[in-house]
Amino acid sequence: MTVLEKLRQSIEAGHPGETEKLVEEALEEQVDSMCIVEEAMMPAMRTMGEKYKNQEADIPHILAAARCIRSGFALIEKQDPAFEERNIGTVIVGTVEGDLHDVGKNLVALMFRSAGFRVIDLGVDISEKQFLKAVRETPDVQIVCISSLLSTALPEMKQVVKTLRRNDPEKKYKIMVGGGAVTRQLAEHMGADAYTENCVEAAEVAKTFIV
Amino acid sequence: MVRVSFVREEKSICVPEGTTVLEAEIMAGLKPDAPCGGAGRCGKCLVRITEGPSDGNADTSPVRACRTKVTSDLFVDTMIPRNKELSILTEGYLRPVTYHPGLSVHKIQLDKPETGDKRSDWGRMLGQLAKAEPGIQPGIKPDSQPDIRMEEMSGIQPDPALASTLYDRRGKSAVWYAIHTEDEILELRREAGRVCFAAFDIGTTTVVGYLLDAEDGRTLAVESRLNPQTQYGADVIMRANYALEHGTEVLAACIRTAVNEMLKKLAGKAQISTEDIFQVSIVGNTCMHHLFLGISPASLVHAPYTPAISRRMTLRAADYGLNIHPKAQILMLPVIAGYVGADTCACLMAVRPDQKDEMTLLLDIGTNGEMVLGNRKRRVACSTAAGPAFEGAKITCGMRGAAGAVDHVFYENGVWNYSTIGGGPAVGLCGSGLIDLVACLLRAGKIDENGRLESGQEDPQVFVLVAPEDSGNGKGVWLTRKDVGEVQLAKAAIAAGIQLLMEELGVTEEDISEVCIAGAFGSYMNPLSAGEIGMFPCSLTGRVRAIGNAAGEGAKLALISREELEMSDELAYGTDFIELAALPEFQDCFIEHLEFENARQL
Repeated sequence: MTVLEKLRQSIEAGHPGETEKLVEEALEEQVDSMCIVEEAMMPAMRTMGEKYKNQEADIPHILAAARCIRSGFALIEKQDPAFEERNIGTVIVGTVEGDLHDVGKNLVALMFRSAGFRVIDLGVDISEKQFLKAVRETPDVQIVCISSLLSTALPEMKQVVKTLRRNDPEKKYKIMVGGGAVTRQLAEHMGADAYTENCVEAAEVAKTFIV
Repeated sequence: MVRVSFVREEKSICVPEGTTVLEAEIMAGLKPDAPCGGAGRCGKCLVRITEGPSDGNADTSPVRACRTKVTSDLFVDTMIPRNKELSILTEGYLRPVTYHPGLSVHKIQLDKPETGDKRSDWGRMLGQLAKAEPGIQPGIKPDSQPDIRMEEMSGIQPDPALASTLYDRRGKSAVWYAIHTEDEILELRREAGRVCFAAFDIGTTTVVGYLLDAEDGRTLAVESRLNPQTQYGADVIMRANYALEHGTEVLAACIRTAVNEMLKKLAGKAQISTEDIFQVSIVGNTCMHHLFLGISPASLVHAPYTPAISRRMTLRAADYGLNIHPKAQILMLPVIAGYVGADTCACLMAVRPDQKDEMTLLLDIGTNGEMVLGNRKRRVACSTAAGPAFEGAKITCGMRGAAGAVDHVFYENGVWNYSTIGGGPAVGLCGSGLIDLVACLLRAGKIDENGRLESGQEDPQVFVLVAPEDSGNGKGVWLTRKDVGEVQLAKAAIAAGIQLLMEELGVTEEDISEVCIAGAFGSYMNPLSAGEIGMFPCSLTGRVRAIGNAAGEGAKLALISREELEMSDELAYGTDFIELAALPEFQDCFIEHLEFENARQL
């Protein structure tokens, strides 16, 4: 088994210690950082996403795998400064005002970073104005992702989508929504460009937007 | 030496001349009430010096025991009501509590006014009441002697309707029973009759009500039912959503109707009239608290999740639609934070971690998991979205702790065994059975540290505990991989909460002297299994204590002891709160605890 295969397995099994060891091993073997991400980390996460869809894996497993990726990332960034600079597009993510939950949003942010996006994470409890300000300050933004776990924050989400739409008549950026409270139907109703069931899909759909 | 005789207590003691009456009371072991420590400021230690042993109710003015020196043999009426001093409730309470309710009944003799006595009927009644209940001292300023002319100026508000009933009987000397609090007379009766309290714990899922006898505080009846608001959503967020969309009124009316029905049932069980219920204490999580009061939960479900109101309140029951005595009161205990409610405050009242130097961990695992860690110096609370897995929800074969629920699972030498509530055939898994089963599967090596279930049975992703033919529902009882995932999420949320509370207080698990687990789940749960699945550190297993419905107990304490009621403010406001969702380390901590740490070692 190659080091990348082992790495992939450690992520799927959710062992961060092993993942770190294997990433270090891979870097020592002069494996390209992009290669580590694209041939081990992303496929592992994709597998987890599929397993989740088939109900073979649950949120605990996804979170455990995500933690592995995050620790691996931190190592790669430390050893390969050029890695940070790769940028296939810019994404703004944030949890909507009235909601402090960020587990889902963080997963999405991680997936975007794995996919090579530059991610501007606004954090939680982000108001309509803060989203608008972030969009204005980031002229190259291509995607805005809005997350909400609490269904009580849905009216705010709807409002943010509406405001962002109004602000962007030329449709320079796409709006994606997601999180525990959102369904495909609600997303369409709000006028979002995309909704995905999980974070892996989110990054994949996002890639189709920028090609 | 001179002799001081206490006529009520039938005790006497020899003391040196110059001793104060208060000191004599203390020496005689009477435990007098002297909040200012004998400084002469509070006027609470009033006694009457009587002429002889039989003259217990002589109409002499009360004097302050701490300012009165004994110079010759004395007879003293301490005015400490006899039954209250001795009545210590232990049964059904976690610690002994002195019965001293905020609402009490006193028998008073109201004589025909003498010519020249310009006092009103109401004023004379208050004067008599003050004799029976030293806590109510009409017109006494802290540093003056009681003045009979000031009786009208008592802190008790005059009630025209009640005062007019006194006039009806003016012609002759009459016996009245006053049902009163420190600042209000709720009723004046000619017959003693029955006087009762009711305590309610309004949970998201279950409502429990207790009926107490105001005479001695004993529990007369208990009643519980499903919170009818569940038809508008299973958890607080769904409930709040409904309120935001359709208004709070529907949900408020719904719970008030349920409380009324329960009050009626409780009264029926104890064979009293609902009109005999004079005080109702209510605790619940902040959302239930708000919905009962008809307050919109909007602020609770939008960050930063603050309650609309948190302080303790005394309200008129009639204003909230309760069909009990028309002047009955509702005591709403204080809430600690948006997701740490009055129920947690009530649990703290039952446990009182603030009385200890050692750390106590309080866990209330329901639809949400609230926890408090702390001691005398500092207490910190947090709330975790543990989810209702331990209440049987979201689990394929999950159920509440009712007849037929598997409550314990055993695995020894490769042999599986289980017990059910009621002993009949199994129909599902309740919380305690669920954690036992997961712990046994870990021990059997059938669940790995990531929660992957390999049952070794026909379907490796499913573990069948009870075969269909052995079950009470013909389907059997089993556990799926997904169920294990739910357990992981729930236990990780609790474990992460505990860890962050420990970090906040700078303590380790060795410092925690006791883990108090509230609720029915706590009573059934095997602490060993809970430790094995990692709900809390394994080392705490031996320090677990099940405390039953501690929230309900706190609600009862609010009624039976005014000191405990006042203490609730201290407990609510003296307990810090940390918002886990706002802590950057929460997510990592949570993910770390998702693992079954014990899977490999066992």
